[in-house]
Amino acid sequence: MLLQLKSIQKHFGGVTALRDGNLEVEAGQVHLLMGENGAGKSTLMKIVAGMLSTDGGEIHWQGRNVRFQNPAEAASHGIAMVHQESMLAPHLSVAENIFLGREPKQPLGWVNRRRTVAEAQRIIEEHHFPLQADWRVGKLSPAGKQMVEICRAIQQGSSLLIFDEPTSSLSETETREVFRIVSTLRERGVGVIYITHRLEELRMIGDRVTVLRDGVTVHSSPLADVSTNEIIRHMVGREITTIYTRTALPPGDELLRVEHLTRAPLLRDISFSLRAGEIVGMAGLIGAGRTELCRALFGIDSIQHGSIHVAGSSVRIRSPRDAVRCGLALIPEDRQQTGLATALPIRHNFTIASLPRISRFGFLNQNAERRIAAEYIGRLRIRAASTRQRAGRLSGGNQQKVAIAKWLVGGARIFLFDEPTRGIDVGAKIEVFEMMDELVRGGAAILMVSSEMSELLQVADRILVMRQGQISGELNGHITQEQIMRHAAFHSSVATTESTSVREQPE
Amino acid sequence: MIQRLLPFFTLVALFVILSIASPNFLTSTNLASVVRQTAVINIMALGMTAIIIAGGIDLSVGSMLALAGLLGTMAMEKQGIALGMTVGLAAGMTCGFANGLMTTSLRINPFIVTLGTMGIFRGLALIISNGLPVHEIPPSFAYLAEGSLVHIPVVLWILLLCAVSMHILLEHTRLGRYAFSIGSNPDAAYYAGVPVRFHTTAVYAIAGLLTGLAGMIEASRLMTGQPTGGQGYELTAIAAVVIGGGSLRGGEGSVLGTLVGAFIMGLLANGSDLLGISPYWQQVIIGAVIILAVSFDELRKRRMAK
Repeated sequence: MLLQLKSIQKHFGGVTALRDGNLEVEAGQVHLLMGENGAGKSTLMKIVAGMLSTDGGEIHWQGRNVRFQNPAEAASHGIAMVHQESMLAPHLSVAENIFLGREPKQPLGWVNRRRTVAEAQRIIEEHHFPLQADWRVGKLSPAGKQMVEICRAIQQGSSLLIFDEPTSSLSETETREVFRIVSTLRERGVGVIYITHRLEELRMIGDRVTVLRDGVTVHSSPLADVSTNEIIRHMVGREITTIYTRTALPPGDELLRVEHLTRAPLLRDISFSLRAGEIVGMAGLIGAGRTELCRALFGIDSIQHGSIHVAGSSVRIRSPRDAVRCGLALIPEDRQQTGLATALPIRHNFTIASLPRISRFGFLNQNAERRIAAEYIGRLRIRAASTRQRAGRLSGGNQQKVAIAKWLVGGARIFLFDEPTRGIDVGAKIEVFEMMDELVRGGAAILMVSSEMSELLQVADRILVMRQGQISGELNGHITQEQIMRHAAFHSSVATTESTSVREQPE
Repeated sequence: MIQRLLPFFTLVALFVILSIASPNFLTSTNLASVVRQTAVINIMALGMTAIIIAGGIDLSVGSMLALAGLLGTMAMEKQGIALGMTVGLAAGMTCGFANGLMTTSLRINPFIVTLGTMGIFRGLALIISNGLPVHEIPPSFAYLAEGSLVHIPVVLWILLLCAVSMHILLEHTRLGRYAFSIGSNPDAAYYAGVPVRFHTTAVYAIAGLLTGLAGMIEASRLMTGQPTGGQGYELTAIAAVVIGGGSLRGGEGSVLGTLVGAFIMGLLANGSDLLGISPYWQQVIIGAVIILAVSFDELRKRRMAK
C-alpha cells in the first residue's frame, strides 16, 4: 500500500470541506477520484501534497504515519501534484521551471544552464511533448503549461503523482497524450491519483475509483465493478441523466452580426450572426482563435477591419465598457483571473457590472443589492454560507454561477461563453446548460466556445468551426464529431497544428 | 474576528498603559496635542486608504503636502485666508489628479510614477519659493490648527468630517465599490465594464485633495509655508493604513482601521515623549510596531485560508 488516508477532516472557518475522507492507493495503479465541485477532492489532495493541514484523521505513506508540513516535505517523500491552475514561474524557461528548486548541484550556487536544458530536452523528447526546453513558460497556452508541470513531476522521479483535472484545458489529441503518459507512469510502478469530471475518460485510464460527496468518501471499488451511472449516482446522491437535451426554439431577430472581422494574424475575415433564442456553438482546436474572437468582440483586443452590428445597428466596441453598453456579456475561460474578484464578497461580485442600476447620484442602494444577491443565490442554487462570503471560497461550479449571474443582473442579451464547463462537475454542468437554455428562452443569444465536442452537440443549435483564425465551416441539422473534426483540422496535419498551438505568441 | 480587532485593542491597551505610566497623559491639554499632532497624518492617511484599496500607492504625498501648503500660504499672503485655502486644496487635488492620470494613461506602476512626482513636487516647491519659507500669514489663520470649537480642537472636527465622508465614499458609493473591485482584481473589473481609468484617477485626485487640506493644517500649525516640510510623511501615512488592516495587494482596508493605525503611532510618539524615551528609540519602536502589526494580520489571513 502506497498511500492510505483514514477519516481525514478539514474545516475552513465554519465550513466543513472534509468530514470523513478515505482513500487507498497502491503502486502501479491509476486511482480515479471523483465527486461534484465542493465535494472535497481538491482539499483532500492538497492535504496529501502538504499544501493544507488536516484537522483530524491519519495519513499513512508507505506504511508510516506521516503529516506533511509543506509541499517540499511531501515532494521529498516522492509525492508530486500537477495542478489545475498553473503553478509555474512565467518568466523562466521550460527547462528552468522543470528544475526549479532542484537545479543540479554546482559549487557556489552556480547554475549549469547547458546541462539543465539538455536534461529537460531529454525528458521532453522521451515523452514526445510538443515543447522546447528554452521556451518561455509565460508564452505557453494552458495546455503547454500543464505539460511542463507533468515534465516536472516526471523529472522528480515521484512515486505518487496527483493529477488535478489535467485534461480540463486540453484538446482531444492532447488528452490522448496525457493518457499515454499516465499509462507509462503506471507501468513503471508509479501510483497515480487522477481527479476528473469527464465521465467518458474513466474507462480509458482508471483501475480503481473513489467517490467523494459532501466531504465524505461514499464509494470505493475497482472500476470494473461499477457502471458509469452508478458512479454518477454516488457523486450526486440522486438519479440524474448524463445526456442533456434541449429543444431548439424558432430563431428570433438577429441580435449580433459580425462582418469580415480581422485582427491579423489571429483572426481573419470572420463573419457570422446570432439570433435571439439561439445557442451557437463554436468548435476548433486550441489555438484556432476562438478565445481571441471573444476578446475582440468584447473590446479587449482591437480589431483592424470589419464591422459589428447589434440588433441591426452598427456599433463600435473599443472597450469592455462599450461591449457591456451594447448588451454583450463575456464569461471568460479563466474565471479566477478575469471573471471574479475572488477576495470580495459574492454580493459585490453579483452587482459589479450593474452598479449604475442600483445606485442614485453615485450612492449605492445596499438593500437592493442584498435583495439581488439573495434572489440570484436562490435562483441559481449557489451553495454559499452567506452573500458576504468571499467568492474565492466557493467551489468551481458555484464560482462559475456567480460569474454568469453578474451578467444576468446587468440584463445582457448577447452572451459569449468561453469554455463554460471547464473544471465543472456533471451536476453543475447540467445546471449551466439549463441556465443557458433559460437565457435564450428569455430572448438572449449565446455564442458557446467549447472544446468538448459532445457538449456542443448536446447544447448548440448550430456549430461554427474555427481553424487558424478563420471560420472553416458551419454545421446544421444532424451533426457528428467527425464532421467537426474535419473542419477543425486538416486531415494530415492534426499533429502539426497541435504541436505549434501550445505556444500562444511568437517570442 | 477578535484578531481583526487587534489594532483596536492595541490602541486601547496603549491608552490604558500610558494613563497609568504617566500622570501627564490623561490631561485635556496633552490629549488635545496628540490630536493636533496626528491630524495631519490622519487626514493624509484617509486618502492613502482609498488609494491602497484600489491597489495603488502614493509616495508623493509628503512633497505634495509641502507644495500645497506653500502655494496656499503664498496666495494667502496676497489675497487672504479664503483664497489661500482654496489654492492649497486645489493644488493638492491637481497633484493627485496628475498622479492618477499618469498611472492610468501611461500604464506605469504607481510606485514608480509617485516616486517620480515625489521629486517633482518637492523640486517645484523649492523652485517657486527659492527655498525660503513663507512667513507673512494672517494671524487668524492659526485658528485652523490651534483653535477649538465646543471645547474640541477644530482639527478633530475636520478629521471626523473627513473620516465619515471617506467611510461613506468607500462603503456606500459606486466609486468606493469600484475602488475595491479594481484593487481586488483589475482584470475582472475591466472585463465587467468598470471604467477603471476614470475611477482610479478619481481616487488619486480625492487623496490629493485631502493631502492639500493636511498641507494647510500643517501650515497653520507652523504658521509658515515650508517648501521642505512633510518629508517622510508618506511613509507614516502608508504605515497607518497598513497597521489598520489595509493590504498593499489591494482590495482591503478601512477608514476605522486607518484611524486606529494613525492614533497608535501618535500615542507611541506622545508616550515616548512623556516617558522620556529618546526620539532615536521612538523610530525603532514605531518601526517594530509596523512589522508586528502586519505580521499578525498576515498570520490571521493565512490561518483563515489554511
